[in-house]
Amino acid sequence: MAGELAFDIAPAIVALPFASFLAVLALGNYMPKKGASAGIAATAGSLVLSLFALVTVAGGSTYQQDLFTWSGAEEVPLHFGIFIDPLSAMMLVIVSLIALLVHVFSLGYMNDEGETGLPRYYSELGLFTFSMLAFVMADNLLMAFMFFELVGLCSYLLIGFWFREDGPASAAKKAFLVTRFGDYFFLIGTVGIVATFGTSRFVSTESHTAFPVLAEEALAEGGHGVTTFLGFGPEAWFSIIGLLVLGGVIGKSAQFPLHTWLPDAMEGPTPVSALIHAATMVAAGVYLVARMYGFYALLPTVLAIIALTGGFTALFAATMGVVKREIKQVLAYSTISQYGYMMLALGGGGYVAATFHLMTHAFFKALLFLGAGSVIIAMHHNEDMWDMGGLKNKMPVTYYTFLAGSLALAGIVPFAGFWSKDEVLYEVLVHGLGSAGTTGTILLVAYAMGLVAVLFTGFYTFRMVFLTFHGEPRTETARDPEPVRWNVKLPLVVLGALATVAGVVNMVPVEKVLGIKGIDYLHQFLDPETELVSNLTAHHYEEVLHDVSGYTADATAFGSESTTVLISAGLSLGLALVGVGLAYALYGRSPTPEEHTDKLGGLKTLWYNNYYQDEYQVWLASGLTLPLAKLADRFDQGIIDGAVNGVGRTSLTGGSYVKRIQTGIVTNYAALLALGLVALLLIVGVTGGWFA
Amino acid sequence: MADTTWLTLAPAFLLGLTGLLVLYVDSIGRSTKGPIAVLSLLGSLAVAGVAIALPDALGLGPAGWSFVSFTLLGMFALALFVQPGSQNRRLIAGLSTAGAVGALGVAAAFLFTFDGEPVNPFGDALVVDGMSLLFAVIVASVTAMVTVASYNYIAEHSYQAEYYALVLLAGTGMTLMASANSLVTVFVALELASLPSYALVAFLKENKGSVEAGLKYFLVGALSSAVFAYGVSLVYGATGSLQLTAVQNAITGEFTGMLGMGVVMVVGGIAFKTASVPFHFWAPEAYEGAPAPISAFLSSASKAAGFVIAFRVFTEAFLQVSESAGEFLVLGADWVLVFQILAVVTMTLGNLAAVTQDKVKRMLAYSSVGHAGYVLMSLAALSGGGATATAKIEAGQFVLAGGMMHLFVYGFMNTGAFLFIALAEYWDVGRTFEDFTGLGRQAPVASVAMTVFMFSLAGLPPFGGFLSKYLLFGATVNSGFVWLAAVAIVNSAVSLYYYSKLVKALWFDERPDDKKPLEISSRPVGLYAAVIFAAVVTTAMYGVFGPVSDAAIEAAAALL
Repeated sequence: MAGELAFDIAPAIVALPFASFLAVLALGNYMPKKGASAGIAATAGSLVLSLFALVTVAGGSTYQQDLFTWSGAEEVPLHFGIFIDPLSAMMLVIVSLIALLVHVFSLGYMNDEGETGLPRYYSELGLFTFSMLAFVMADNLLMAFMFFELVGLCSYLLIGFWFREDGPASAAKKAFLVTRFGDYFFLIGTVGIVATFGTSRFVSTESHTAFPVLAEEALAEGGHGVTTFLGFGPEAWFSIIGLLVLGGVIGKSAQFPLHTWLPDAMEGPTPVSALIHAATMVAAGVYLVARMYGFYALLPTVLAIIALTGGFTALFAATMGVVKREIKQVLAYSTISQYGYMMLALGGGGYVAATFHLMTHAFFKALLFLGAGSVIIAMHHNEDMWDMGGLKNKMPVTYYTFLAGSLALAGIVPFAGFWSKDEVLYEVLVHGLGSAGTTGTILLVAYAMGLVAVLFTGFYTFRMVFLTFHGEPRTETARDPEPVRWNVKLPLVVLGALATVAGVVNMVPVEKVLGIKGIDYLHQFLDPETELVSNLTAHHYEEVLHDVSGYTADATAFGSESTTVLISAGLSLGLALVGVGLAYALYGRSPTPEEHTDKLGGLKTLWYNNYYQDEYQVWLASGLTLPLAKLADRFDQGIIDGAVNGVGRTSLTGGSYVKRIQTGIVTNYAALLALGLVALLLIVGVTGGWFA
Repeated sequence: MADTTWLTLAPAFLLGLTGLLVLYVDSIGRSTKGPIAVLSLLGSLAVAGVAIALPDALGLGPAGWSFVSFTLLGMFALALFVQPGSQNRRLIAGLSTAGAVGALGVAAAFLFTFDGEPVNPFGDALVVDGMSLLFAVIVASVTAMVTVASYNYIAEHSYQAEYYALVLLAGTGMTLMASANSLVTVFVALELASLPSYALVAFLKENKGSVEAGLKYFLVGALSSAVFAYGVSLVYGATGSLQLTAVQNAITGEFTGMLGMGVVMVVGGIAFKTASVPFHFWAPEAYEGAPAPISAFLSSASKAAGFVIAFRVFTEAFLQVSESAGEFLVLGADWVLVFQILAVVTMTLGNLAAVTQDKVKRMLAYSSVGHAGYVLMSLAALSGGGATATAKIEAGQFVLAGGMMHLFVYGFMNTGAFLFIALAEYWDVGRTFEDFTGLGRQAPVASVAMTVFMFSLAGLPPFGGFLSKYLLFGATVNSGFVWLAAVAIVNSAVSLYYYSKLVKALWFDERPDDKKPLEISSRPVGLYAAVIFAAVVTTAMYGVFGPVSDAAIEAAAALL
């Protein structure tokens, strides 16, 4: 366990970006490339160390280490600690890789474009990378919460990078407030978990037991060994705190109804969107559910809610993506939709599928954002797709990588997205078919929504591709785009390659249909056989899901297993192809496409206005919260401040009276002193019964 | 084997002897140098002769006689080497500081090696235990800070040796107060502390305010001493004893009224020393008129010494602790009630008066009265509650220890605050809040230190005052006196107003146009050193709070 070099130096994965943050913050203006070099060096270092850790983990070791107990209360010690297992090692690699590529890309997007305030930009990127990596490594929920908040802060800072303009500043505020709203519940949930289990550890150590394990034992023994509150039984109470924590997840991973901040967050610099709002921070919510999946797997109600939220969000966001004019808006809604898939998978019992999709999505969505960034550079920061067209020949590297990303997003075989999305849908389908009663029905409903979303995904993705790259250039800028340099192309190529081939790590359909054993590498990777993480493995989750939550996978509903696999894959691929074909028919065939979405009429207005989500949320804020806050303010001003001011006034008035006693004449003092003594004597005498 | 228990009083001896030494050094003038040298040399030789010829005379023994002889020889040496005139200012201040620091070191070393067994030097009239050592530490620390700060403050004044000697002798008295175990030693020690204080308050002879303050202090002090002495005589009349434990044993239930009056009057005498209402009238005047280092000395060390008497007299003589039943049996009169009244009145009046002051030093004077009120709670909440017998006794110990800890922390934060005023007086900044505006920019280090003192006095974390207030208030609640703690908290909140008013003046307020611009030309080393030291200790209290509060709890446990 300990002694593995990769683990001993694991804290450096986190420390390097933090050092870069501090250095750039202090000396950014004097550093090469205004701090970009330091950021690149630090993230490259983190990437190398993360890869080293990943290789070590793949060799069958895991690592947990308490670093620092910051609250020494004996019964409930709160600490910082590192936990590296397959899941976190994989996430570390994803985060540090994307962070590195985004730093490189930023050279082209920020430095070459002559932006000011670059040291601030790079130091904030460093702080973000640090926080995100530390969040991933956290071995307990409270520490995770802290870094969860810190990434939220970085997101706020970076969305508002151009804070002098109205849009970014207000988008940053909105992102912060909306995610904070979710985090509020998360905080209560964290406190609830600590109060219930006396610990918030994800992983059992020699001396401490992880809270999911405690929860499992408590449910098996009818609530023994945990403290529940408000008179709820253990199962109901666990569901409540699970839902509370889920609040933070829904906010951060932009799930319905707290997704509204993410499209606005596109006001931030595009590399930031790629890093934070596509590949990593938004993934934090999903990662958190995966991290404590042992807990959620015990709670069928919460799982059903997760599945429904995910499926609904996937469909709901995809529909809005259909009508957007701006390239980054399409990608934003697509991101919401894709995270919906991951939540769907988690709710549907597909732990590995969700992790798989998290990984492939990180690659292809970062790619698409960076590709969009490249297009935006070329278009002189005009993001409207209707002003583009015909960029295919002018910027081939961007086009082909973007196309690879789009194919992955649409779920076209053999690109990475196909494999992961297919597995998500497959897992939900088989669990839906196999589970009895309401669970099965709910899963099938969620599955249906996810399936329909595939059609929309194929459509909006290729509408975006056709409008941007195909046809005739529709504006002067599109006819003569600004060229981009190697620092833009290199990250695109790397991610393009990953988006194309990353699916090979987990080609389950191939395995099942052709009967080739052992190519489900990710499954094996997430199912290690070490003692430390025996409660954190894929097959353990499957068992818990089955035993406690009544989830049963039935792969033989349509005959044999390979038939089911083929039907599922065929359905999703077919629908995706229909979507792509529709997009081609409407936007790809003619060199001068029309705005067909206008034909949708009222539906377009509804979609274009995002189902009026913002409007009702603004109403909630101004129409409901504001009057309430005013009422509270009146109470605060009247009663609380009134009391405080009263004390203040009384003490001032009293003070001036007291001042008058101090006459400065010493005989008065002697008299008062003597009178005081007599008064004391009288009081004591009367109460002591001297005169009785 | 010779009796060496008197050595446990080393802190007091060190302070007293240093005071005498300072006077001696000062007496070596141009004209007196020769005679003093000759006399001390002759004396030394004569004593040496006695030591050889009659070693058993006066019961001193050969060692005693040689000690006297060598002391006289040392005095001869001093007479030879000391340069008469103004040059010895530094020597006198240095000697005083060395004496105070030495006393501090010895007291601290004794405290941390204290084995829990009280020692009674010179019979039962004195006692050296955990509490007396803790308070010797407090007194010696304050004395050391005051002597260091005074080096600059009284640089321009004459009679410096007398000043230092009086400070050291008053310090001796206060240290002895901590060890007094009989009503008569209490009285003597109290006077030993008081008489030099009167003179010190009036030290600025040219300053009408200082002289007037000294006179008022003396008059109120004389009256209070009379009350106290009368109280002692009544107690003696009722019990026939003066030694504290003997008094407790002799209380039988007879002479209730007489004993009761005596007890209340003893409270009165102590209330004078601690500046508690209604015996506080001298405090605002004396603190304001006195040289600021003396205000620091009186408001911190003298107050602490007054409280140590209160703690010892009332827990040893007028309280019977039944460990088995977990009961505190209040003897003589219901003095717990008296202290409850005094606590509430003192803290409220002190804070209310402080709120409306516009002179900073006077505000601090009233704040000092307010803090006396907080500490009074530790006696007022003594008879409190707890679930079990042990818990009851422990609650009493905690609340007493809370008072001691607050005095300990207060010894640094309040001394520091007054020494900052000394610094301001040295710079001739002025007296009102407005005069202090903009000082933060001119003297940032000192102003940061003052900010620390203010926030600590108000009881804000992370400073020492927060910890001690927390302990004291918490212990009061723990004893079942929620209402008393609530009063204290409201008062504490009020105090935040005037403390932060000064912080605001230092850092944020614009200097009014009619005020002359600040001119700070020098950075007096002694004053700065003392102020910074106090600030560092106030801030670093987290580090030492644990062991010191353990010592305080043990000391309280020994009393109850």
